[in-house]
Amino acid sequence: MIQLLTDAWPTLWPILAAIAIILAVVPFLGLYMTFIERKIAAYVQDRVGPNRVGPFGLFQAVADGIKIFLKEQIIPDHVYTVLYFIAPTFSLMTAMFALVVMPFGPVATDYKEGFRFIVAPGIDIGILMMVAISSLSAYGIIVGGWASNNKYSVYGAIRSCAQFISYEIPLGLSLLGVIAITGSLNIEKIVAVQSASLLDWNVFWQPLALLVFFTSALAETNRLPFDLPECEQELVGGFHTEYSGIKFVLFFLAEYTHIVTVSFLTVLLFFGGWHFPGLPGPSGASLVVLLLGLLVLLIKVSLVVGLIMLLRWALPRFRFDQLMGLAWKGLIPLALANLVGVAVVLTLGLPKHLLLITAALPVAAAYYSAAKFNQTVSTESSLRAGLARKQAVSYE
Amino acid sequence: MNPFTIDPNRLPLVTGEQIPGTMSQLMLLVILLGAVSYLLLQHGVLKSKMIAAAGMGVFALAAALAVSLVPGQLDAVVRMCFSLLAVAGGLAFITAREPVHAALGFATAVLSTCGVLFMQSAYFIAAATMIVYAGATIIIFLFVLMFAQKSKLRTYDVELSHPIVATVVATALMFAIAWSVTSPGEILPIKLDLTRPYSLAVPGEAPGKQMPPMPSTATSAEEYAAFVPSKTSGLGRSMFTDYLLAIELAGTVLLVATIGAIVLAQRTERDAT
Repeated sequence: MIQLLTDAWPTLWPILAAIAIILAVVPFLGLYMTFIERKIAAYVQDRVGPNRVGPFGLFQAVADGIKIFLKEQIIPDHVYTVLYFIAPTFSLMTAMFALVVMPFGPVATDYKEGFRFIVAPGIDIGILMMVAISSLSAYGIIVGGWASNNKYSVYGAIRSCAQFISYEIPLGLSLLGVIAITGSLNIEKIVAVQSASLLDWNVFWQPLALLVFFTSALAETNRLPFDLPECEQELVGGFHTEYSGIKFVLFFLAEYTHIVTVSFLTVLLFFGGWHFPGLPGPSGASLVVLLLGLLVLLIKVSLVVGLIMLLRWALPRFRFDQLMGLAWKGLIPLALANLVGVAVVLTLGLPKHLLLITAALPVAAAYYSAAKFNQTVSTESSLRAGLARKQAVSYE
Repeated sequence: MNPFTIDPNRLPLVTGEQIPGTMSQLMLLVILLGAVSYLLLQHGVLKSKMIAAAGMGVFALAAALAVSLVPGQLDAVVRMCFSLLAVAGGLAFITAREPVHAALGFATAVLSTCGVLFMQSAYFIAAATMIVYAGATIIIFLFVLMFAQKSKLRTYDVELSHPIVATVVATALMFAIAWSVTSPGEILPIKLDLTRPYSLAVPGEAPGKQMPPMPSTATSAEEYAAFVPSKTSGLGRSMFTDYLLAIELAGTVLLVATIGAIVLAQRTERDAT
């Protein structure tokens, strides 16, 4: 076995180093994202937020972490113990496993030996792999909800099932346009195609795909506009009602990891990844250029993370039928229309920036549904008025 | 060398090498044993605990055999671990009393199979299996099981109406799979048919050849082929040229099934009202 390891060492160490970075950064990130989220929430609600522990309250996250680790382990009597413990672990495991094919820094497509900012470089099906892994993240919630042996938890789990299955379809469909024009599922290649100039960023010819992708990816993270599985007013805590202490934290670490993954994917697929006008690409670049690329990527990602956190306080929660309606009647048709547009452009050999007009589609759809909503409201109110008049007549 | 590239010397089945005779006989024996014990389980002669115990014994034996047979390579060890986990998941699937545990055993088996496929560099098939089976099918199973969890299991949930027919058909299918695995036909080398625009011809795939610079928008077939020197694209080309009829038929079957589902759903709604 030792002989095996020493033989494989040259190919093994960059992988192990990348895994170590991910394992070290994710819990830290989870802690500090709760802190940032509280600060943003405070800003939105015109409060100060955590400011007592350390300068600007920066050590609040550390204090929270210590407190959570020292909490008593409460295991309710009525749970199925084994699955009850497996669920949060599996949740975090799938969330972290998705990071395997995700480049977290500039990766050149020539894949030289040595350290690269990715665990598994050059996987042909990179983006498909991410979708596959994220489809597994429902297991943690479902198993957790079922093992809690409590009807609110089961309802939370069932809701999350339906939500995951529905939103996976627009998520996959929205990526197809980007994949079709790039001609590869490999994330590094998708980024490399966006290298030439600012206008080559995918967002400038796939705005509709960006909208559909971002919405459905947000739904997969179980965050606020889509947090029906844990919806406090209806289901106590949803699938995590029976969880406390470190087990609860694992669920939430998984949620924050999902947010990071979604932000990275949005940046890599639509906003040019580590490319910025004037900055040379990563192949054969010096260390300074690589670090600059890393900086560019991280700044873009943190902007998207900030947007997701602001969205939490900007949008109210969906009703369940609205949630399903949005996926099946809104996002899937839009994603299909986008795909047809891409197919037409590719077959006729038109310039791809013609697809920018697809941005008009969601606007038209929103206008149409608003008009229809107003119409239903007005017919309903006129019907009600008519009914009231009739009743008034009959009472007379 | 990049550990994720394929090494043709390590794939005995693709080059048409035969599996040794004793191995294939062992395979058939295992299938027959499984069929017989399943029938006995159905007739109540065997209890599921006994099957589980016997299965664990066989599993330990297989694990020991596998460890002694595994060549000294890291990927072979990992692949063997995945295979053993898949067998364990299948065992849990058959013997579990709780339907949810059975579904989770099935999920374990499917995911471990995906692991085996990954170790064989069949990335696309692995990811597709993960999305379709582990990600969608089993989650829908769990969905249904959760709704039914409080009610007692009905007899038709536990007992088969035709156990012998089911077992015979399943055994025949397993024999067919085992036969086609143990005696693979001659696999022709991939031909570079340059007359067809979208065929298996993938210039740039040849080893040592430099990949051409990426054009910002590929429009022609040649550009595409040069653009995407990956195995997944080869699979896609093959599926939509060499196996076009099968793909279209499968798509039609799925379409018919979808329409049927919609019709059934509407009929129950009308009957209910």
